[in-house]
Amino acid sequence: MWKVCKYTLLDLARNRFAMGYTILLFAVSTGMFMIEGDNTKALITLSQVVLALTPLLALVFTIIYFYNQYEFTVLLAVQPIGRRSIVLAQFLAVSSALLAAFMLGVGLPVLAWAPGAVGATLLVSGAALTTVFCAVGAWIAVTQRDRARAVGIGLVTWVFLVLVYDSLLLWLMFAFSDRPIEPLIVPLAALNPIDLSRMLIMLRIDLAALLGYTGAVYHQFFGSTGGMVVSLLALMLWTALPCWWAVRAFARKDL
Amino acid sequence: MDRIIFEGLGKRYGRQWALRGVNARFVPGEVVMVIGPNGSGKTTLIKCLLGLVRATEGAITVNGTAVSSDPAYRAAIGYMPQLAEFPKELTVEQLLRMMNDIRGARTGSTDERLFAELGVESLLDKRVSALSGGMRQKVSAVLAFRYRPNILVLDEPTAGLDPVSAGRLLDAVLRARREGATVLITSHIMEEVQRLGDRVAYLQDGRLRFTLAPETITSATGESALSQALPKYISQLAPHDVEGL
Amino acid sequence: MIRTLILLSSLTIAQCGMAHICEVRSGGSITQALATTMDCDTVRVSAGHYQEGTITIERPVVLLGEGWPVIDGDGKGEVIVVKASHVTIQGFVVRGTAISDVNDNAAIKCISVSDITISGNRVEDSFFGVYLSSVARAFVQDNRVIGNASTPEGRRANGIHLWKCAHISVERNTVMHHRDGIYLEFVTDSRIEGDTSAHNSRYGLHFMFSHRDRYTRNVFRDNGAGVAVMFTHDVIMSDNHFEVNRGASAYGLLLKEINDATITGNVFADNTVGILIDGCNRAQVKDNRFHANGWAVRLLANSLDCVFEGNRFRSNTFDMTTNGDLVKSTLKGNYWDRYRGYDLDHDGHGDIPHRPMSVFGLVTERAPYAMVLSRSLMVNLLDQTERVVPTLTPAALEDKSPLMRIANG
Repeated sequence: MWKVCKYTLLDLARNRFAMGYTILLFAVSTGMFMIEGDNTKALITLSQVVLALTPLLALVFTIIYFYNQYEFTVLLAVQPIGRRSIVLAQFLAVSSALLAAFMLGVGLPVLAWAPGAVGATLLVSGAALTTVFCAVGAWIAVTQRDRARAVGIGLVTWVFLVLVYDSLLLWLMFAFSDRPIEPLIVPLAALNPIDLSRMLIMLRIDLAALLGYTGAVYHQFFGSTGGMVVSLLALMLWTALPCWWAVRAFARKDL
Repeated sequence: MDRIIFEGLGKRYGRQWALRGVNARFVPGEVVMVIGPNGSGKTTLIKCLLGLVRATEGAITVNGTAVSSDPAYRAAIGYMPQLAEFPKELTVEQLLRMMNDIRGARTGSTDERLFAELGVESLLDKRVSALSGGMRQKVSAVLAFRYRPNILVLDEPTAGLDPVSAGRLLDAVLRARREGATVLITSHIMEEVQRLGDRVAYLQDGRLRFTLAPETITSATGESALSQALPKYISQLAPHDVEGL
Repeated sequence: MIRTLILLSSLTIAQCGMAHICEVRSGGSITQALATTMDCDTVRVSAGHYQEGTITIERPVVLLGEGWPVIDGDGKGEVIVVKASHVTIQGFVVRGTAISDVNDNAAIKCISVSDITISGNRVEDSFFGVYLSSVARAFVQDNRVIGNASTPEGRRANGIHLWKCAHISVERNTVMHHRDGIYLEFVTDSRIEGDTSAHNSRYGLHFMFSHRDRYTRNVFRDNGAGVAVMFTHDVIMSDNHFEVNRGASAYGLLLKEINDATITGNVFADNTVGILIDGCNRAQVKDNRFHANGWAVRLLANSLDCVFEGNRFRSNTFDMTTNGDLVKSTLKGNYWDRYRGYDLDHDGHGDIPHRPMSVFGLVTERAPYAMVLSRSLMVNLLDQTERVVPTLTPAALEDKSPLMRIANG
């Protein structure tokens, strides 16, 4: 597995798209810090970009890379190695490459301009989202035969998690405003990895406002060490489950 | 001892049987040309053998062990796909090293004859993305022969190769046969089939209609060229039992 | 300090003609000195521990502590009660009142007197700290009134408590760990200046029915519910800091039924709500800075004719929200960091108006826990759409001439 991973990484290290992604992130991050004099405000804007952009790019990149590698993956599957290790290796390589891109593109500027709790939370969340959506992308790529269809499913997944899910939550709040659904909202939001990451970051930014209304539940949960651990575990689960499904689907798949 | 045994092999995609009731035995030192119209099941047969596709029914035995989830049996197989694709940003040298690592092959243990004959040496520094289709086919051929497999599966091996390289590849096939390998080749080029094939396995609508020596077919039809003989021979066959599919 | 002393001496001279000084040394009794030496108008108390129950002052006197003598009430009743006018208490550590549900026990209490100076004392571990009831003309200055941080809220009282007073100066005091830091009820024509009120369990500053008072250069930080002021007219609050007052009902400043208030040059930072304006008329809110608050300004629709001008809004979760459609207030020339307009005529003001209330502000107004969606893409899209095509947010809440950049750096 490590051998496949190593050479796939070697390939990814010179991948134009991965390089472009790194440069894009770096340009966006540094640009934001340079245009906005207030580093905290730049960090807020940056975190919104990261929350939307990293899942999308991780999904699309992973799906496309998996499809581009399809013929070679078949050749690998003919070698005397297990199928599970092939997908795992590819997932590891792609997620490491995207993580490296994220850390170079966003991590360096953040460390340079705005080190601290908000910055650290942003980096951890962005990194977690990258791996989560790599895993989801791998799963989609492995289960769908058609590349266009897979990319389509990826986009729909992204739109759903980044936009529709929140709209549904909002609808829920208004539709059942006369029922005590308040305690449900935070857990429901936390089921969505993008929302979960956003809440982790927001807790550091909008604390004053959060303490106003949802303060009790919210702060008690996310502010505590236990809450942080649960959140990170949830994000890991979001990585592990799709990854496992991808491995299982690939192992059973007719290539 | 038979090297490859297909016993009642069948593969169904959804409701459609791509392959059914295939029984065949292949021995060391023979070249089997797998032919048949498009969609006749050639690719599925090969994929079943390579472990890329799970058989719906029946069994395959390779070198005495049943093809199962254990990937070890594939160490004995060299495979050259119809269209080879490799990671675009690796150099040919890195690609070869990667395959060495995966195969656990030590330097010096590999068969470098085809590597020399096809002139892949000059490609070593090149990135895969800089290779032409033909160059990729050469690399692919080298990879198939390199680990001294006793089973070679070549899918349209000469397509895309220049005539000189194609000739060298076919020479390598014959050499492998001499050295005791079992070679399965799919091809549409009848001259090739006639020249190389010890036997011709003819697939039609997912059925293996016959496995015969080319000479048997030519003598049965009175034609000297297999390209002439084969259609004649096929037309004489009784229409197969469609119900059974 | 010097000013105080000059004032003190002028007071005493005016009364007694000549200063007579007597001294109390460690081991002696202040009560006795006050009772027996009727001729001395200044009692100097040396360092020491004086534990003599409640000390009652019933004649004009200057009580001077030297080297921080401790007057300890030992947890019984009051510590010092002033029942005469023209009294000065300075330089003492006063501590140890009783905690009571019935009596307003205080470390230093003045009742129905005038011309009092309480300055430079350290009031510790007391129920009420400095307590003035029906007092005219008093200075409460440079005192440190520090409660016990571990005392539960139910057993705390106010640090500086003024009831029915007039012409009082409360200056440069520090009040911590009490219930309300500074409390005023029926206190008029007074000045609250340069005080620090922090870590009090309820309000940093709390006043009602206290007209024509000025509050300047005070710091109100991290109090349970911030600052709440009610039922008062003609208040001036300028150059104060309202900081880090956080919680479900915490406000930097809660203005309830305040008329004709002038709120200028204050800083509101890191509060859950910067200012909540509830039923106020003609409030002039000018040149304040709002930074990193949850809600910088919540202007309830029952307020009339308030003016917001020259304020700076930066990095707040919500700059301004209201609870109704009709807002009869004026916004002009404020700086909003969210403003995305342009200034083609280069007059320093944006050419298109700015509506500081976002759609998301509107949403959380109706479904408060929608806060969990803060800064999500959906919310951003909502707000951007509204910015381009304003339809949902109240048209009345609009700054017609938003500042393009922060004035004076």
